[in-house]
Amino acid sequence: MILSALGTYAFPVILVGVPLYAASKGVRVYETFVKGAEEGLKIAVGTLPYLVAVFAAISCFRGSGALEFFASLLGNVLKPLGVPADMVPLLLIRPVSGSGALALTGDLLQTYGPDSPMGILASILQGATDTTFYVVTLYFGSVGVKRTRHVLASCLIGDACGFLAGFLVWRLIVT
Amino acid sequence: MNLVWGFLVTAGCVAAVMTGQVDAMMTSVLDGVTGAVELVIGLTGVFCLWVGIEKLAEESGLIDTLAKAVNPVFSRLFPGLKGLSRPLGTVTASVLSNILGLSSSTPLGLKAMAEMKERFGDRDPGFDSMARLVILNAAGFCIFPSGVIALRAALGSRAPAVIAGPTAVAGLAATVGGLLAFRFLSRGGKPGDRRW
Repeated sequence: MILSALGTYAFPVILVGVPLYAASKGVRVYETFVKGAEEGLKIAVGTLPYLVAVFAAISCFRGSGALEFFASLLGNVLKPLGVPADMVPLLLIRPVSGSGALALTGDLLQTYGPDSPMGILASILQGATDTTFYVVTLYFGSVGVKRTRHVLASCLIGDACGFLAGFLVWRLIVT
Repeated sequence: MNLVWGFLVTAGCVAAVMTGQVDAMMTSVLDGVTGAVELVIGLTGVFCLWVGIEKLAEESGLIDTLAKAVNPVFSRLFPGLKGLSRPLGTVTASVLSNILGLSSSTPLGLKAMAEMKERFGDRDPGFDSMARLVILNAAGFCIFPSGVIALRAALGSRAPAVIAGPTAVAGLAATVGGLLAFRFLSRGGKPGDRRW
């Protein structure tokens, strides 16, 4: 498959291609790389306080049972639309916690089988969006922006659109 | 963000008291903050690697070439960056990494954020471009969701990649929906006279 090959080979091609190209342009490869790596270190460390803040809030929400409560509320709303109840926690956790969503998807795939209709739906929903809270926190945190205005709301609306589209496509292919 | 943070913590604490799961909540919070530190440590190597590579691409002129090549498409997505090869090139590299599912997407994205901040300071035209980058990468549109496919394969799927097409449709919907929502929500503001 061309797409999977693109995903697999892009990494080695970039890893060897960029330094070779830079060398051919007369850039001092090692020194320049180290200078960049130093910048990378600063960026990574600078995100720590923001990530700690968000992880604390999310763990509080998840560990206390509040997540289950809101999942059951949302489940009642989504039931008439034909969304299976077992998928609702995944919808809630996907934008909030990457590792949590992955664990939940693994759970669903194991329970229902990865090729069952439920397994397919869980896989699509898992891939429909990235971990929105993490991305918003990390990106704005890294440049010290504390007021993110409408960005979080916009991303969450986008997530909802992604889930809806994934659900509709799933209904088309399983029926 | 303030509202959401407040909501998560308040709802969590109220729920913990009501369901008698205060201990579980406390353990979860402590694990969570430790996890945040571990995550940053784990990511630091990846960040150093990719920002190092990006520096090479930058100094060899590769980023400028990339920016020129995609300018017609990306300057529509990022009107504030039109013709500016410096933030635009890094922004493009990050978004393309995301589409290909490469680990370089986040480090390059943060590098791009830093470049935009440097260029525009903390005023509005920069915020708009930053917001669009965040929305694109938060939706995470990807042509080959390798993580999910690997998980499916590991759990014994006979056709682990069948979900790639539907997932791409969903990811595209998340991207377009997010961008349209942002456009709608931030209408009516005068660019330049709001501070973050």
